Amino acid sequence: MVTKECLAEFEDKFKGEIREKKFLTPTQILYLVDKKDLPDMAYYLQYHPEFDESYYVMGIGSDERQLAGKFAYAPVINMLDGSGKRENFYVILKARLDKDNPEFPSVAQKLPAALWAEREVRDLLGFKPLDHPDLRRLITPEDWPEGVYPLRKDHAYNASPAGELQDGYKKAPEDTSTVPIGPYHMALDEPAHFRLFVKGEEIVDVDYRGFYSHRGIEKIGEGRLTYNQIFYIAERICGICGFQHSSAYAMAVENIAGVEIPARAQYIRTILLEIERIHSHLLWAGVACHLVGFDTGFMYAWRIREEPVMWLAERLTGNRKTYGMNIVGGVRRDFLDYRKTEILDKMKQLKKDVEKLYNIAVSSDILIKRAKDVGVLPYKVAKDYGVVGPTARASGRNIDVRRDHKVFAYKDVDFDVPVYKDGDVLARLLVRLDEVLQSISIIEQAVDQMPEGDIFTPIGKLPPYQEALGYTEAHRGEVIHYVLTGTNNKVYRWKVRAPTYNNLAAVPEMLKGYRVADAPLIIASIDPCYACTERVQIVDVKTGKVKALNEAEFNDLSIKASEEL
Amino acid sequence: MEDVKISYTESLISWKRPDLRVGVPVTVKYPLVPTEKPPEYRGKPHIDPNVCIGCGACVRACPADALTAEWDLENGLKSIVSNPARCIRCGRCEEACPTGAMKLTLEFELATPNKEDLVEVVEHHLTKCKKCGDYTEFTERQVEKAFQILPKEIVDANALGEKMQLCRECRMEESVKILAAQGRIIGDPLLLPPQHAKGGEK
Ligand code: SF4
Ligand code: SF4
Repeated sequence: MVTKECLAEFEDKFKGEIREKKFLTPTQILYLVDKKDLPDMAYYLQYHPEFDESYYVMGIGSDERQLAGKFAYAPVINMLDGSGKRENFYVILKARLDKDNPEFPSVAQKLPAALWAEREVRDLLGFKPLDHPDLRRLITPEDWPEGVYPLRKDHAYNASPAGELQDGYKKAPEDTSTVPIGPYHMALDEPAHFRLFVKGEEIVDVDYRGFYSHRGIEKIGEGRLTYNQIFYIAERICGICGFQHSSAYAMAVENIAGVEIPARAQYIRTILLEIERIHSHLLWAGVACHLVGFDTGFMYAWRIREEPVMWLAERLTGNRKTYGMNIVGGVRRDFLDYRKTEILDKMKQLKKDVEKLYNIAVSSDILIKRAKDVGVLPYKVAKDYGVVGPTARASGRNIDVRRDHKVFAYKDVDFDVPVYKDGDVLARLLVRLDEVLQSISIIEQAVDQMPEGDIFTPIGKLPPYQEALGYTEAHRGEVIHYVLTGTNNKVYRWKVRAPTYNNLAAVPEMLKGYRVADAPLIIASIDPCYACTERVQIVDVKTGKVKALNEAEFNDLSIKASEEL
Repeated sequence: MEDVKISYTESLISWKRPDLRVGVPVTVKYPLVPTEKPPEYRGKPHIDPNVCIGCGACVRACPADALTAEWDLENGLKSIVSNPARCIRCGRCEEACPTGAMKLTLEFELATPNKEDLVEVVEHHLTKCKKCGDYTEFTERQVEKAFQILPKEIVDANALGEKMQLCRECRMEESVKILAAQGRIIGDPLLLPPQHAKGGEK
């Protein structure tokens, strides 16, 4: 009810600018609007006084020239009432852009959260965000030719043209030296490139360049797979939160088909999502311990992750990772009865283990001193950048898709959403450890309450040219998938936004003012979803001397910082 | 957890680790000691060549193109080729298989200097067309199985006994004669070979 009032207020304020209104689901509202109003509308919704936790989720760019003769750009806002009194919802502001000159006034000039999204639509679709503050390349590599836009429908999914190499780095500020971290980073396992501009030990500014492992998955999904085959590639978007992606994708398609999946399937999804969260948080806690030189904690966290968490996942799904359990309409396999008591036993064991880890971690002086008041992300910056997940909750943001949007069986179980105000690395650690304990309790409740019945509702042909969102709260924050169906059980547009996309854009803000030795820990503290830096190169801009540090040396720098304490 | 008061040293002391002399070690000496996989485990897929009928349902289900069907219409052969090196262990093939020939095994140690070693091929003979003598797109076992499971009334009502022994072209001729007026389509186009070659030519 209150939602309706809020919408009426919005419609009233922008009377005359709204062409069409459509409920994709009862809590997903799509407005077809004029592009010139995008910045004002997005700003109004993000800083809505009553829906105070709202944020810009993503910007969907799509080539709809075959459908509507135009391109489309659609910012999505998650409307959240922090007090929990009103029903939360998603607003999609869709604007059509001219097919020959797809320009639009940039939302990013008002909302930093849109910075990346608009660089992305420029790279992949050739849109022109006017007055965007920083239109350097984000996704396409330095040698991608100008004027070739891979997500346009006239670009083949397997075409990869060559172009001239260009320099895309930000210029270093006066009187600073540059410390590049990456493209290979030692703490995690994927390429990313941070360039720290330092004065002595202090970081004054940061440039980020990434997307080295951009695989064009959306294009493959649109070009070659059927809607039931996309699961297997959706699950492989990430080696850690694969099931989150496949569940979010399933939810989007199920929303389009208009089916409610059986209760038992919802419970099975919920249990697996939580098992995945526990494994991810423990993995991360181990890495954080290792980065501060506290290897006892690292070994301990990884041992309890292996047995019982991965052990259990293997028995419930057939594999430790890439569970392969989802299908549109439910899940593919049921839990065997005799595993039920096993889950409960293992959860009891895990709870003891995690409490022990918690105790040991918070009573370790090294860890506390390295993590406290380091990498602080204030509430306001977190909101401006649309930061999500534990990173946001450690900065006082009271947001959690599981609770706010009542997905799957989360509506039937009790759990707390831990929120810390400090915004430092320590808070990010504590949020995650608290969440593991909550996850254990969610699994226990779900196993207890799990209803009998079907695990799957058959779905026939999908209606063509319908759209919807699907979302889950992954370990790092909200995972959101947008699907626009095509004909013949194919997908016309599939857009994926992983949580790290929002969180990473805010990392430069967290690094400023801290020391080079803190950088690995701060970067790792958002649990970034590319993995680690294997080699660090220190360039002294004044002398032009290059010094390469290998992984061990860079880690040593971080571990030495602990020893100094 | 603001109420945690004990010091790091104290908590380390109070932390009882398993006694390796009496308890279970944390790690095992893999691969010197074999590990056990649970019955739910999804390992390398295996086709039981005695049970497979060569229908190709698994091929169509496979999202990773790890399964393919290869046609040799000259010699009347259809092979189901499984390439576990491409396989993503999703188990769709097992779900699609109508005979239970396709099973994911518990096997996972597949390291090999030559990926080709892992490939499994199940070869099937195609039936010959009663009318023109060319090979049809049905394997012998497929036809056998179809007669086994289809109720006699259905076979008779649709004159399947006759039709299943014809090649695609002859069947189409027949169908055109009999069914064109009703505009009914028979056969699943996806099960057909890529090209229908006349005897002798590729
Ligand atoms: S398990 Fe999946 S990928 Fe592997 S062969 Fe079967 S269908 Fe193909
Ligand atoms: S689905 Fe089963 S019977 Fe058919 S070809 Fe594949 S393995 Fe053989």
